[in-house]
Amino acid sequence: MALRRIIKELKDLQRDPPTSCSAGPVSDDMFHWQATIMGPSDSPYSGGVFLVTIHFPPDYPFKPPKVVFKTKVFHPNINSNGNICLDILKDQWSPALTISKVLLSICSLLTDPNPDDPLVPEIAHMCKTDRLRYESTARGWTHKYAMG
Amino acid sequence: MEVAEEAGEAVLAYALAAIADEGAGAGETAAALAALCDVLALSGPDLILAIPSARLAKRLPKLVAASAAGDGDGDVPLLAARAMAEACEGAPPWAARFAQHGAVEALRDRLLAVDCIELAEECLRALDTISTECPDECLKRGVAAAVLQFFDFFSTNKQKVALQIVSNIFNDYDEEDVPTVMEAVPALCNLLQSSDKTILESAISCLALVAAGASENAEHMGKLCEANAVEATMSLMGNEGWKSLSDDILTGILGLLKNLASISEKAVESLFKLDFCELFKQMVTYYSSSNRDNDKVQMLVELIYQLMLPLGASEQHAKLVTAKKNVIMAQSTYMNQLASIFSLMVQVAKCAALSSICYNCIAVISNIVELSTPDFLMELQNTVNLSSFLNFLLARKNRHIIFQALKISRTLLEKCQQFFLETFTKEGVKHSIDSIVSHEKNSSHQSKRKNNMNESCLCFDLESSSTGEVCRVESNAVMKLAEDIKKSFFSVKGSKRSPHRLGFALKSFRDFFVRLNVHATTPPTENPDSCKQLTDLSRRLLSDELPVTSTFEFVQSGSIKCLSIYLSNGAYGNTGISDGQDLLGHLSEVQSRLQKFASLALTVPNDSSANPLEILVEKLLDTLQMCYDSFPVMLSDEQSTHESMMIPLRYPETQELKSLELKFRRSQREKELRNYNDVLSVDLFSTPDAIEPVLFPEICRRTDQEHAPKNSNRENEASGSTKLDDGNRSSKLRFLYNGVILQPSTTFFESILRLMNKGQSDLLIDPSFWDEEHYITYRKRNKSKEISSESSHNIQLSHVQENLQQAWLKDPFFTALLLGKLPGDLDGSDPSYDLLFMLKLLEGLNRFSYQLLMGEQISKFAEGTLQDIDDLKVAIYPVPQHQFMSSILTNKLELQMQDSLFEGGLIPSWCVYLIETCPFLLSFDTRWKYFCLTAHRSFMTDQVNNFPDQVNNIFDQVSGHSDQVKCPPQTKKYRVSRSAILEGAVSMMTNHGPSSRIVEVEFEGEVGTGRGPTFEFYTTVSHELQRAGLGMWRGDNCEDGFIHASFGLFPKPWSPSGTPGIDFSNVLQKFKLLGHLVVRAVLDGRILDIPLSKAFYKIMLEQELDMYDIPSFDPELGKTLIEFQALVNKKKFLETSSTTSKHTAVLSYKNVKLEDLCLDFTLPGSPEYELIPGGSQKMVTLDSLEEYVYLVVDATLKSGIAKQIEAFKSGINEVFALKTLKMFTEEEMERILCGEQDSWALKNLEDHMEFEHGYDMSSPSIITFLEILREFGREEQRAFIQFTTGAPQLPLGGLALLEPKLTVVRKQGDGNVDDELPSVNTCRHFIKLPPYSSKEIMREKLKYAITEGLGSFHLS
Repeated sequence: MALRRIIKELKDLQRDPPTSCSAGPVSDDMFHWQATIMGPSDSPYSGGVFLVTIHFPPDYPFKPPKVVFKTKVFHPNINSNGNICLDILKDQWSPALTISKVLLSICSLLTDPNPDDPLVPEIAHMCKTDRLRYESTARGWTHKYAMG
Repeated sequence: MEVAEEAGEAVLAYALAAIADEGAGAGETAAALAALCDVLALSGPDLILAIPSARLAKRLPKLVAASAAGDGDGDVPLLAARAMAEACEGAPPWAARFAQHGAVEALRDRLLAVDCIELAEECLRALDTISTECPDECLKRGVAAAVLQFFDFFSTNKQKVALQIVSNIFNDYDEEDVPTVMEAVPALCNLLQSSDKTILESAISCLALVAAGASENAEHMGKLCEANAVEATMSLMGNEGWKSLSDDILTGILGLLKNLASISEKAVESLFKLDFCELFKQMVTYYSSSNRDNDKVQMLVELIYQLMLPLGASEQHAKLVTAKKNVIMAQSTYMNQLASIFSLMVQVAKCAALSSICYNCIAVISNIVELSTPDFLMELQNTVNLSSFLNFLLARKNRHIIFQALKISRTLLEKCQQFFLETFTKEGVKHSIDSIVSHEKNSSHQSKRKNNMNESCLCFDLESSSTGEVCRVESNAVMKLAEDIKKSFFSVKGSKRSPHRLGFALKSFRDFFVRLNVHATTPPTENPDSCKQLTDLSRRLLSDELPVTSTFEFVQSGSIKCLSIYLSNGAYGNTGISDGQDLLGHLSEVQSRLQKFASLALTVPNDSSANPLEILVEKLLDTLQMCYDSFPVMLSDEQSTHESMMIPLRYPETQELKSLELKFRRSQREKELRNYNDVLSVDLFSTPDAIEPVLFPEICRRTDQEHAPKNSNRENEASGSTKLDDGNRSSKLRFLYNGVILQPSTTFFESILRLMNKGQSDLLIDPSFWDEEHYITYRKRNKSKEISSESSHNIQLSHVQENLQQAWLKDPFFTALLLGKLPGDLDGSDPSYDLLFMLKLLEGLNRFSYQLLMGEQISKFAEGTLQDIDDLKVAIYPVPQHQFMSSILTNKLELQMQDSLFEGGLIPSWCVYLIETCPFLLSFDTRWKYFCLTAHRSFMTDQVNNFPDQVNNIFDQVSGHSDQVKCPPQTKKYRVSRSAILEGAVSMMTNHGPSSRIVEVEFEGEVGTGRGPTFEFYTTVSHELQRAGLGMWRGDNCEDGFIHASFGLFPKPWSPSGTPGIDFSNVLQKFKLLGHLVVRAVLDGRILDIPLSKAFYKIMLEQELDMYDIPSFDPELGKTLIEFQALVNKKKFLETSSTTSKHTAVLSYKNVKLEDLCLDFTLPGSPEYELIPGGSQKMVTLDSLEEYVYLVVDATLKSGIAKQIEAFKSGINEVFALKTLKMFTEEEMERILCGEQDSWALKNLEDHMEFEHGYDMSSPSIITFLEILREFGREEQRAFIQFTTGAPQLPLGGLALLEPKLTVVRKQGDGNVDDELPSVNTCRHFIKLPPYSSKEIMREKLKYAITEGLGSFHLS
């Protein structure tokens, strides 16, 4: 079942690819994907290309996929290991969601960080108190790590 | 030997002659005495008695006294004393002989002279026996004082002897000797400072004896007080000292203080000065909790009673009474002390399982009330509702209690008539008194007198000797008093206002239920206005008026019955379901009523902290206390003491069981059967059901002989009816005792006892009971239709229920509601019946509150009142389970379990009934004790065969068994290898798991045995069972290491086609092993370290599971399934309510078409598990969604795990019947198996946490925080883990292996720190903790935060 659903999502992605991201299996293993996300233009991540890995659990779509950033990002909700704190990847997951929707949500998280519920409190603090510094640091990291 | 004996005789003859010779020199006498001592020490009593007594008895005392007169050898008195001691010890009659000849004085003088310690000690030895034999003589000669004079010089051993002498002397002395006794008192009081326990003990018991003997004499008691006896004993008890005193000492002290207080106002004053009330409070609280020690409570209450005597109790003590009154009145603090124990007394009286304790408490309360001024009474009333309490008491059957309660009522009315007239009306006291008057008038005199004869007198009195008469409460005293109260108070005034008040409450209740029942007949959708009105009304009733309604009004309004009738759709109170009724229609009506009621009862109104259900339960439990007499405790005179009941008993005590003599007689109306007329000696377990097969052939066969021609016909009829009735055990005979029909399943013993003691609260078994022949009448029973029709209903119902999916519709509580009756043959007319029914109902409702409310939400969604499927969640605030516990029933069962009959298996039927049907009314500790005491009876039969002395079959016991020595549970040792521990465990458990012995383990190649290795074994094996790749549990995806089941372990469904790499039979074997482990954990008190899910515990307790249980172990899957179900219901609703099917076409799941979810008919997570043949090719659509949900739920909870569960259960059932565990809840079962501590109880909690952003290891807030965490109990720990990590279970290894590590950071807001709450980030395992100003505030805030989250744990 999981496999069928994953293949369907892959087909949908290929037929109707979202504007700012792309995704697909790494090798023959359909449960292990890789995706790229373009930094949104109205954000300090603009111009960057971010690599994420996606792991589907065997009981997908009843359980959320595991999504991790491979590229380093300076963001209050993404930590140095690339873990993302996003409600739809945890308890707000629903089988009605798809990878494409998840990737879009991550895009909007890049545009609108949520410093009130941070994963990295230091960045959140900076984001709230010194917005300019936060943005310049994020831009710096994007140049350094996401524009290879 | 003979030579030796002869030689002995020769020596004796020589010695006797030498001793008798008064002219002999000291040296010669000494030598003779020494020889005599040697002979005496070696001779037996016969020989010693044979020694010619007259001269020796005269001579020895003189020799003892000798040296005082002359200048003889110092050894002579010593040897003479020794000889006396030897003679007395060898043959006690010698003691009297010596005493006749002045031995006592001689010894006393020697003691007082104290010229040689050795001599003095010899004197003590001699006096030891003499004081036993002739205490009076010793007393008169002042031995007691003499013995104590140089007490300190004696060795410890001899000190004990000295005190033994004193206690011998003081045992039962005459009044005239009091002055002599008093001489010894100061010395005794000094001894209370001693640090030696035995000395202390003896000194106290001596003082207690003194006090007991002098209790009549105020002057001398005063002397005791002057000797500071009160202060000295109190100093022993202070500072929790009483906890470390031995039972005997404490009993002695309490007796002493009681006697002192009873006679001397000085003692009373000292006790008040030393704040005895505070001590009393601690002790009573301690001893009365779960009936720890009723005797102590009794003594304490009697002591307190003596502090203040009822005014005008008797003429002769008038002075003393006034003196005590003056003492108390002189200091306002003393009165306050009494006030401080007042509510405790009320509490104890209410919950006491023994009538005598209850009575004593009331007597104390009565005294306090007597002493109080009206203003003070009003203050007391603020802490305790006196009127309601009195009404409880008046509902009792016990005449003494009623009398005392009436006395209090009168006093109250005399003191503040206005106020109490009003509350008496409201709380029903007035009503009760009225009914006492009218009842006693009407009732025939004969029956009344008979009851009175039976009732044992509870009076205890200060003038124990002068209460020669049988009982102070005469038979008609109750009525006289009641009439008196009625005449002088009720008829005067107050009648204008009160009925109105009462009427109002009654009216609003009745009105409400009339409306409810009217409402029930019209569907709610048709009239939304009335629906809202009704909701408002019921809310007002349940949450505003119920709390202020008195218990009396609550009962009188009949609201419990009305509610039962409403909720059961009329089945309650009728004969159940009527024949033609549509069962399914009835079921759905009851279901919907219950759901509506649940949402009403479980919602917390905005401004109150308790939900209506909680208030209702509290009221019901309060009312249940009035049914004290429905649960009579059977008491034989023997108590059994089981100090620690931590593991179940394996064997019943093999005590000689008594039997009952029953004489069976034919009923006069019975014409068909022959008379039997023989006495049968039956065992105590015999029931009418069991006796019938024995008796019936006897009386039938003879009938057949008599009516030979008709015989064949009747024979056929009889056998035919047996076959018909086989199913429902319906019997052919009715048995009667004193004209009352006996319940076929209750033992003769209990029935007879209850009927004999009708009208009494406790069933005390008189010794004569066993010798009597009890007459039982029998007659043929008319075949009754009811039973068969009822049982056919039951069969029909179980058919219907089988097809239902929701678990709560199959729960016993719902079956009871449907049928309108409690299971079993309970007497429906008993006042407790309504209460038990309602409590059972509410408990079920509470247990299934999530299911009920969610069901309501789903139907709202289906009907369109709820739009968004994301809003499909409920916050539930169920009433904590312990609030369903009835303290009075718990106490009663505790008391019953202390009786020796209980252990022999004689359990009153109400105990069994409560345990089986309403276990929630009893505390966990009590149920565990019950389980331990009765577990041996649930062992499987082959176990019994292994141990022939354990008699299982109750009918075998008539034959009587030899008095074998009680054998303790044996231990069986087993050796396992660490390297193959699972295999070892399997083979060991297969061989020894079913043993009812205690199993111990040692590891191969290691020396350790016993507890340590055994515990380690269980821990290791439970860990091994969590290894990934075994295929046992959900979430096992064949990785390395251990499974982390964050919501607890639940069996993984096993696909019929199998999983590659795992042999299913291995999986089954491991489940069986788990079953064995569970058994051992229960029986041997072992602890398993395995986080089983709540749902798995439910399976263990044989409860039904349904879809709503899935979220508890797999939240994501569960949530989605419930949402799917809601969608299915919506589709169904649309299809039935509208003619066009267009609506259903647009139905989608969160705006996604179901087909697009791309689900096929395989089990989520197991693509090889096809739910239907070819399921992997069949897609789930809106139309097949219902089937899909059903199949997934079925595979997850039933068909997919059936074999595993069967294996698991068989492991348990090999040893004992699984169903005996049903009396526990899931949480309790976990507590039994896994112990109290959770896996995070690490010594160094801080090593596994990180502290950042303003905190470090040494921050005061962190130190406090860690302290609080360590103090958390299991449930709190779990709530905390849930709060910080999002799941209740830590990975195996606990906090140490949590990734990322639990991190505590400082949270500093703008406002006041103490107003903030801790918050978390579950992604990161962050807890943000404000630096609170105190530990209390931090604990409070933390608890609030973690429990608040729990309420909405499901589907948030």
